[in-house]
Amino acid sequence: MKRLMLPLALAGFATAAPMALAETVAVITPFLAQPGTQAYVQAFQEDAATRGWEVNVIDTAGDMAAVISRIEDAVTQKVDAIVVNVDPAQVQAGLQTAADAGIPVIGMDAGADPLIVTNITSNGYAMAAETSVYVANRIEGKGKVVMFVFDAFPPVQIRGVVADAIFANFPDIEVLDRITPDVQDGGIADSRAKMEAVLAANPEPGSIAAVWAAWDQPALGALQAIEAAGRTGEGIVIVGMDANPQARDAIAQGGNFEASMAQDFVGIGKAAAEATARAMAKEEIKSKVTYVPTVLVTKANAAP
Amino acid sequence: MISQLRQAGTLIGLVLIVVFFTVQLPETFLTARNLINVSQQISMLAVVAFAMTVVMVMTDFDLSVGSMASLAGIVAAVLFTADQPVWLAVVAALAVGVLGGVVNGVLVAVLGILPFVATLGTLTIYSGAAFWISDGKTIFGRDIPKGFSEFARGGVSLDAVGFAGVSLPYMTILALVVLAVVWVTLEHTTYGRRLYAIGGNAEAARLAGVRVRWLRLSAFAITGLGAAVAGLMYASRVASANPTQGAGLMLDAIAAVFLGMTMGKEGEPRALATLVGVLILGILDNGLTQMKVDSYVREMLVGTIVIAAVATSSIGRRA
Amino acid sequence: MAEPLEFSAMTKRYGAATVLSDVSLRLSPGRVHALMGENGAGKSTLIKLLAGVVPADSMLVRQGARTLPLRSAADAHAAGFRVIHQELNIVPQLSVAENILLGQPIPQRFGLLVHWAELARRARAALAELGVSHMDVRRQAGGLGTGDRMLVKIAAALVQDAGQTACLYVLDEPTAALNGAEAEKLFAVIGRLKQQGAAILYVSHRMAEVMDICDDVTVLRNGRHILTTEIAQTSRDQIIHAMTGRDVADAYPPRRTPLGDAVVCAAEGVSTARLTGLTFTLRQGEILGVAGLAGAGQGDVLSLFLGSVRPTAGKAVLSGGVLPTSPAQAWARGVAHVPQERRSEGLMMRMGVRANALLPHLTGVIARKGPERRRVADLSAAVNLKAAGPEQSLWQLSGGNQQKVMFARAMAGQPKLLLLGEPTRGIDVGARFEIYKLIRALADGGCGVLLSSTDLPELLGLCDRILVLQAGRQATILSPDGMAPADLLGALQAAPLALETT
Repeated sequence: MKRLMLPLALAGFATAAPMALAETVAVITPFLAQPGTQAYVQAFQEDAATRGWEVNVIDTAGDMAAVISRIEDAVTQKVDAIVVNVDPAQVQAGLQTAADAGIPVIGMDAGADPLIVTNITSNGYAMAAETSVYVANRIEGKGKVVMFVFDAFPPVQIRGVVADAIFANFPDIEVLDRITPDVQDGGIADSRAKMEAVLAANPEPGSIAAVWAAWDQPALGALQAIEAAGRTGEGIVIVGMDANPQARDAIAQGGNFEASMAQDFVGIGKAAAEATARAMAKEEIKSKVTYVPTVLVTKANAAP
Repeated sequence: MISQLRQAGTLIGLVLIVVFFTVQLPETFLTARNLINVSQQISMLAVVAFAMTVVMVMTDFDLSVGSMASLAGIVAAVLFTADQPVWLAVVAALAVGVLGGVVNGVLVAVLGILPFVATLGTLTIYSGAAFWISDGKTIFGRDIPKGFSEFARGGVSLDAVGFAGVSLPYMTILALVVLAVVWVTLEHTTYGRRLYAIGGNAEAARLAGVRVRWLRLSAFAITGLGAAVAGLMYASRVASANPTQGAGLMLDAIAAVFLGMTMGKEGEPRALATLVGVLILGILDNGLTQMKVDSYVREMLVGTIVIAAVATSSIGRRA
Repeated sequence: MAEPLEFSAMTKRYGAATVLSDVSLRLSPGRVHALMGENGAGKSTLIKLLAGVVPADSMLVRQGARTLPLRSAADAHAAGFRVIHQELNIVPQLSVAENILLGQPIPQRFGLLVHWAELARRARAALAELGVSHMDVRRQAGGLGTGDRMLVKIAAALVQDAGQTACLYVLDEPTAALNGAEAEKLFAVIGRLKQQGAAILYVSHRMAEVMDICDDVTVLRNGRHILTTEIAQTSRDQIIHAMTGRDVADAYPPRRTPLGDAVVCAAEGVSTARLTGLTFTLRQGEILGVAGLAGAGQGDVLSLFLGSVRPTAGKAVLSGGVLPTSPAQAWARGVAHVPQERRSEGLMMRMGVRANALLPHLTGVIARKGPERRRVADLSAAVNLKAAGPEQSLWQLSGGNQQKVMFARAMAGQPKLLLLGEPTRGIDVGARFEIYKLIRALADGGCGVLLSSTDLPELLGLCDRILVLQAGRQATILSPDGMAPADLLGALQAAPLALETT
């Protein structure tokens, strides 16, 4: 009896058979929990709706092999295009399956790859350069800097590389610590704990000039640590990246958190939809990477 | 009668799920290509679940299989970056799996720490080791030799048996081999029979001359080896190694074994029953994706099904 | 005084099997009524019906002119029935006092904290009502011996009656795990309950105590009512005849072959953590009894030769060689073991007869079902096992048949030395005779037997000699010829007396 409930329950989710005419697009991501991903996926969906596509968004909750599996499923289901936001090197098997079936795959903040029609993204190198230089200029080229990085994730890793290079180019800037926070809790709490440890180890006022974070959560954590330690008055400059709402809020208040980089997620989503439309129309897209402009966010323009 | 129905219940559930998807997705679900896809998609989970079955037969647990899988993948990948041959990297990764399993076995069988606590500890240790060895980086691209990543994409052509253009993936074949080995070991060797006896009553088994300590230790080693195999399969499939990539396998594997246990006469885990559990999880993932069911709803549904199956079976048992 | 309880037309079927068929029972206030029968006779089912935990197919309960409903445990409780089950389900983590007052409103201070002193006071009062004063009610109940656990359960049943009187106590095998002194305490408690005017239904296998403390007896066989009479009007033999359907002929089968000369095992001045001065020689075919009060160290005598306890001093040999260092080694060298605690140390309850019987005898790498099944079929026939087949789970078997599986396991390896711990505990008369025959047959075949038991007639009837332990020390080795159980009991107690209640 109870077993019979299952198909009945499933039937509740069963949508009508796909309309024969509408194009079907599968968006497959392991990172839907992240605000940036949510923003461009949503923008993509809105744009797709105006074009009359049927969009199926699939989140594998961090599981990379499952991304391959879901690409295979989408191919079986004969979708018209697939959008992914993972490193193509890790899902080669799935990309090959799609290529064999002649289904175009568009990268949305993914990475360049021969099997991807084009990758729509922000220029991570340029973004990191902007915040790093912002820090260097604000501290007038000297002092100790704490870095928060995450080299396991390639798009964030490149930010760290650029920051490394820029700080190394200032003889009087010393990188005090290069911290990889535990991101399982979202990154704020552990970054705060790590920053508290650094503050404790460097009790002299002014001994820390700046905190450079490769994304916003560690910057927020560092800000909390500095506030809790009562050291907001030392002029420690904090910069993040991605300009998420919480970060914008902090920047707008004019505290230590001074700057972040805003990716144009909506723009990425829209550009991805545009590229998808062109790919489905069998139009040739020459560049394997399409950059969408980014903006430095400071107190002046932080209001969301 | 009730007991037979209860035992068959989970299998009936699987059949109903298959029938349901076949009806809902008449074009695409019950096709050779899709089923082959499913078999490949679940192959890694299957290997971990079969390995997990070995310790769960003794009513033990191994929570560290996921991080062990990650660690094995990382060890192989790090050796790849050092230009070591594929065979050496694979052997080293498997050895790391066995070693990790032996550590679990010593903690549980010799020191007498509860498996839950011991393997929770080693879960963290192996995960930390994977981060440490890899510097927290994902190793991918040119570092991973073609010969290694091709394995997950290759297969044996089925043209000869009438499925033109379809091939049986090596990943599937490997999972079937692991299934065969675990099945024979548990059901048809004196070793497996003794493991079941330990699960039935460890103290009684010891007094009846079973070398409980040694058997538990070796069973954990086997589970570690299985986790390493799965970790290598995963690394081959994604052509990269990341220190967290195996983490999701552990809970699904335990869920699969639990689903399978509902089919045991006395609620004991069996290799073939675990396969049914793995199939249920894998087919739900595949079919619900094709039906465009929201992925979060899918997760809730899978959890509900596991609980429903186990609850049904325990209600049946009490009656 | 309350009126008698009359149960009639009690019938219970499980599927096609009728386990209780039209049984009637009349229980009078202030009398102890024994319920006897072999395992499978329907005693447990009858108790479950009285406790309301299993619905009857038919049953009528009257007290005087009143008809009592009995469809649930709550009904049974409301009717004043108190069932003390065989399995002593105490909560080992909680204190004795908490166990006694389990399910009662807990006395509190400030409506927040547990009022420990009050809790202890109430628990002590409950125990005092039973005439028990030796227990520290604040200690953890897990450390209690079986006898004390039983007393805690009875005290808990009494506490429940604050404000309402129980009219019936059902005691299911209460003395199965008690030593003599503990049993005496229990009998005193039963005497009190009787004086208070309660009816008592007393289920036991122990003929002697039934004859001693009961007023009436009802015998069941195969789910049917066979006999109800006053104890004074009947005899032990008549009851056994009613239970088994046959006469008591040769309860203890005599030796048929003389003792061999070869020594199976021996000890000289051996000590262990709980035992000193162990000195004996066991010859082929000899049955050596190991007797003592609870906690006198009997367990270690067996464990020594099973390789699970190491000697700290002295010299011991097993068939000419050193002692085994693990049970695995012991079995490999021809030692077989039937443990005292069948459920926790012997059987895998959720596994089948085959897996249980052959566990120590698995050899080679591949386990072959066919030959194993044939072997188990032979063994089952040899021990006269009543089971649905080689794969039937042990929990579905009666206690006697479970024990026969243990004997099948022991016999399968053709042992040279058989270690027996309480081989007939909790086993009915019929199965008991069969087990005596098995022990005798093994001994006649040349196997040496160490038999540890608290059943004194059994020791006297079976053993060639009896090794007596007193508080962890070997006192003497006796010949049972011409001894009565009372003499043996005297020998066990004749120590500088430290009556341990373990």
